[in-house]
Amino acid sequence: MMSELLVFALKFAFLALLWVFILFTGAVIRSDLFGRRVPATKGEAPEKKPRASARTRRRVQEASAAIPTTLRITRGKQAGLTMALGDQLKIGRSADCQLILDDDYVSTQHARIYRSGTGYIVDDLGSTNGTYLNNERLSGPTRFTPADTLRIGRTLITVEA
Amino acid sequence: MADTVVYRRRTVVSALMMVFALGLGCAGYLLVGLNQNGALPADWVTALAAWVVLGGVAWGVVRWRLPYADPLLLPLVFLLNGLGLSMIYRLDQADRLASANLQMMWLGASVVVFCGVVVLLRDHRVLQRYTYLWFLAGFLLLLTPLVPGLGKESHGARIWIRLGSFSFQPAEIAKIVLSIAFASYLVEKRDVLATAGRRFLGIDFPRARDLGPIGVVWVFSLIILVFEKDLGTTLLFFGLFVAMLYVATERPSWAILGVVMVGALGVVGYSMFDHVQTRFSSWLNPFTDYDKNLQVISAQFGFAWGGLFGTGWGLGRPYLTPLSKNDFIGAALGEELGLFGLCAVVMLFGIIVARVLRAALGSNEPFGKLLATGLAFAFALQVFVITGGITRLLPLTGLTTPFVSQGGSSLISNYIMLALMLAITHQVRRPQAEAPAGEFASLSAEATQAIPAIRAAAPEPRADTPRPDPAAFGATQPVGMDDPTVPHPIASPDPRSREEDLT
Repeated sequence: MMSELLVFALKFAFLALLWVFILFTGAVIRSDLFGRRVPATKGEAPEKKPRASARTRRRVQEASAAIPTTLRITRGKQAGLTMALGDQLKIGRSADCQLILDDDYVSTQHARIYRSGTGYIVDDLGSTNGTYLNNERLSGPTRFTPADTLRIGRTLITVEA
Repeated sequence: MADTVVYRRRTVVSALMMVFALGLGCAGYLLVGLNQNGALPADWVTALAAWVVLGGVAWGVVRWRLPYADPLLLPLVFLLNGLGLSMIYRLDQADRLASANLQMMWLGASVVVFCGVVVLLRDHRVLQRYTYLWFLAGFLLLLTPLVPGLGKESHGARIWIRLGSFSFQPAEIAKIVLSIAFASYLVEKRDVLATAGRRFLGIDFPRARDLGPIGVVWVFSLIILVFEKDLGTTLLFFGLFVAMLYVATERPSWAILGVVMVGALGVVGYSMFDHVQTRFSSWLNPFTDYDKNLQVISAQFGFAWGGLFGTGWGLGRPYLTPLSKNDFIGAALGEELGLFGLCAVVMLFGIIVARVLRAALGSNEPFGKLLATGLAFAFALQVFVITGGITRLLPLTGLTTPFVSQGGSSLISNYIMLALMLAITHQVRRPQAEAPAGEFASLSAEATQAIPAIRAAAPEPRADTPRPDPAAFGATQPVGMDDPTVPHPIASPDPRSREEDLT
């Protein structure tokens, strides 16, 4: 038979372990909250600032010169979607647009991207909320290079060479 | 430097928590034997081996098929299940039945079904395709107990069907089926439900053609349940529907309307049905009629006798309460584990609900969001209603305590629900870059593209084309877009944009 003391001790040990389990759960939830940080650019070694910025500036110039071929949605509901840039591309919510955006802030016929000579031009089609290139609202046809980011509603779009 | 935050798989953590949970289950079972007879239970080796194997299999299958699933859900569920099984075994010692063996077999069947669902359903989004079939299935399931010959009445409620020597409660499965149906229907129609319609008494009512199908199913379900005299499930379905409508349309008026309707239905039920009046009187004045309210009174005495720390496993007298293995298992736990133990159990339920709601918040597609919210809400409501009932916070309505109470249909359906929850958490926590260009990628592309489009396997940052950081843009971002699981598409900060900002 078990002694009274042992029964008593086991009773409290069980309750204590039950709460220790809950405390562990709390610790797991806490560590889970922050996840694991991975650098977004994998494999790129951290470099000194001036050199990096000089390199980026050169890249920006190179990128501006190249003729884009694909369009990529980088942010928004359809992020990750790519499509080929043709001669002309209409963006909006209506079915006759080539790029139909699933975004509440996009007008039926929002903007168009068309080819002109060596590059692409983006133009607003009288949208309600405007079209922004590098955070500046478009007032007329503007060149759209791989260095630029186009914002339509809540969707960010870039072009790539 | 923009870092992205991804969830870890946490295989080791979940394994350790699983071992801890299984160990606590074993400890409860062994303590019952030790405290009652001073010796370990007769066949403790086989019982514990079966328990650990079932837990191990469930864990292994989840890690194999859903490696990113929430690491805590399965250990939490198994801990609750272990506490329940130990308590059922303890109550067996008093009434000389073998309910614990039967419940163990049901657990085995549940784990098999659970593994089946986990293996077959890695992506919960396939469920969205069969909205109306789900409605029909849920409706038929609710109707089956009313079929003569198949249905069976017990404890004054006609909610059972007989299958050979087993009986089954189809409403438990119907709960899951209708959750899926509501979620997929509301995802499809939420825009028209929220915007089109008439305003009446300050509440926007949707058009009949939008709310019609779901409303008809829901009203009929409630009528069936009222006919079957299943108060608890009626309340559960009502709450589930109102909560999902509220979440889908983002209109607080639905929540307010729901509470008002519960009150109105309560008054109507009180004046029309005798059994509702009995419930109310045993809630407010249980001690006026000892014979009628024996169950509630006995549970209250049990809680009082248990006190803060309880009497210890096997040392109280929870068997004096009728139905102590089913509805009143919470009272049995409260008596033998005390307030501390019962609070721990409620806490475990709370953590499960919190984890599933967290997954719903993190989900970036509406169906998973709505389904996770619905399942979590139904689960929380069920625990609240039955725990509130036995502690006399609310009038008592017969519902099982999920994963704890005795009952095969409840156990199986709760494990199916757990499998769904795990599948959703896996989809939410999985690094998005790993998304295969599979079925859903092409489906989503088709729905939005008139010309052929390729979905990128990973929105990987391009080192050669740096662009302005979108974070510097003034764009208001919706909740889903700040999801830390989506790798930041643009990595390098562009000095040019900084200069522009300064000017």
